[in-house]
Amino acid sequence: MRSRRVLVLLTAIAATIVTALLAAPSATPRHTSGGGNVVVFGRNATIDHAVNGDVQVYRGTATVRDTIDGDLLVFGDGVVFEGNGRVLGDVILAGGAVKNGEGRIGGRLYTPATIEGAVAMITRTAVIVSLLLVWMIAAIVVTLMSGREIRLSSIEVRTSPLHCFALGLVAVTSFVLTAIVFSYLVPYLIGIPLLFALAVFAVLTKIYGTVVLFHAVGTLVAGARTREQLAQRRWFRGDLAMVVVGVLVLGALRLIPVVGTLIWAFASVFGIGVALATKFGRREPWFLAWAPAEARAR
Amino acid sequence: MNDACQRYLENPEANPEHANECAECRALFDALGVSVEDRRPRLSMEDLPLAPWEGARHRPWGLIAAAAISVLTLSILFFIYAGTSPLSVLSAEMSRLEMMREIFRLGSTAVRNAPLTWQVTIGVLFVVVNTILVLLLRRAPRGIDA
Repeated sequence: MRSRRVLVLLTAIAATIVTALLAAPSATPRHTSGGGNVVVFGRNATIDHAVNGDVQVYRGTATVRDTIDGDLLVFGDGVVFEGNGRVLGDVILAGGAVKNGEGRIGGRLYTPATIEGAVAMITRTAVIVSLLLVWMIAAIVVTLMSGREIRLSSIEVRTSPLHCFALGLVAVTSFVLTAIVFSYLVPYLIGIPLLFALAVFAVLTKIYGTVVLFHAVGTLVAGARTREQLAQRRWFRGDLAMVVVGVLVLGALRLIPVVGTLIWAFASVFGIGVALATKFGRREPWFLAWAPAEARAR
Repeated sequence: MNDACQRYLENPEANPEHANECAECRALFDALGVSVEDRRPRLSMEDLPLAPWEGARHRPWGLIAAAAISVLTLSILFFIYAGTSPLSVLSAEMSRLEMMREIFRLGSTAVRNAPLTWQVTIGVLFVVVNTILVLLLRRAPRGIDA
């Protein structure tokens, strides 16, 4: 009953996050016609006629000589503007640089620096610490509502770390591939609710799994080993204390540049793995095993 | 039946030598089908390792409040030192989110326009990865049973 309550709460949080992401206001007005989209894979693209839509270039360079009404996305070797070349929407660049682009981009220019969050180190630290507070509140609420499930999942991740990691890696890959497959269904409308449900499930798994990781790390670092130790402790005992210690330890590690990001990425994989391995701490099978009635009677 | 017998019957583990001395008690245990020699002392709670649920419900609100206040104070100090407000950072983060949303939106178009080999590869990977996922999910969790 309690695990259901926490599942409902987490689902509501995940749905709110996904809805907020989807409904975030756009900086520039978007064109609605998608008929003129250009997608190029594995070669350079030269836009020498007006495009009434988006242009995407994967593994190549984009040379823009005329107007692109929508956005330009380049996952490759950058973009070069020539002649009357302009982009009315955003330019998203992952690799390479923009040449001769001054005053030719109507929307925003997103570069790899934007993806990494090119903010000052001290601001970055402030953001991380603020997010840590949000994680701490979420962890406390989830643990208060469903301490037993969190504890059981925490035991699982400490007992079978390799299985949890493998499951987490496969699950993350599965989320991405399933999202790609669902995106095929977007023109048939059913794709949108399917993608929404997948995103909610992924966020739900991530939140629960991360709280479990906090508990596991807290127990490894500050958990009582003997009954005498436990009896002597006033503060460092119980699920809540372990979760808070875990938040503080992982949060401190998160402050280390690059390494901290990697550690949290690994923690996310572990978390997603253990959330799925234990079915959110319920320890029930995901799939019912079929057995004939005679076999069960025996 | 004397006092020693009484003490033995009340707590056999505390008085094991009595069984060797008293034929009456031995006969009583034999009648009950319990072998005096085979009876091992009961497991003591203190001998067992600490179970994960022991003390798990303890709620140290002092620690939680101290940790939350410390993190909040640290966060405020960092923002003051950086000379920026959480709202301005939030709006900067929103632009990143917007970019991610754009990538997802454009990516869905790209997938449908990808070369056939890419689409087949995605299809095969989808089946293979989800099969592995199902196989991994079939394993029962160990946890407390390990």
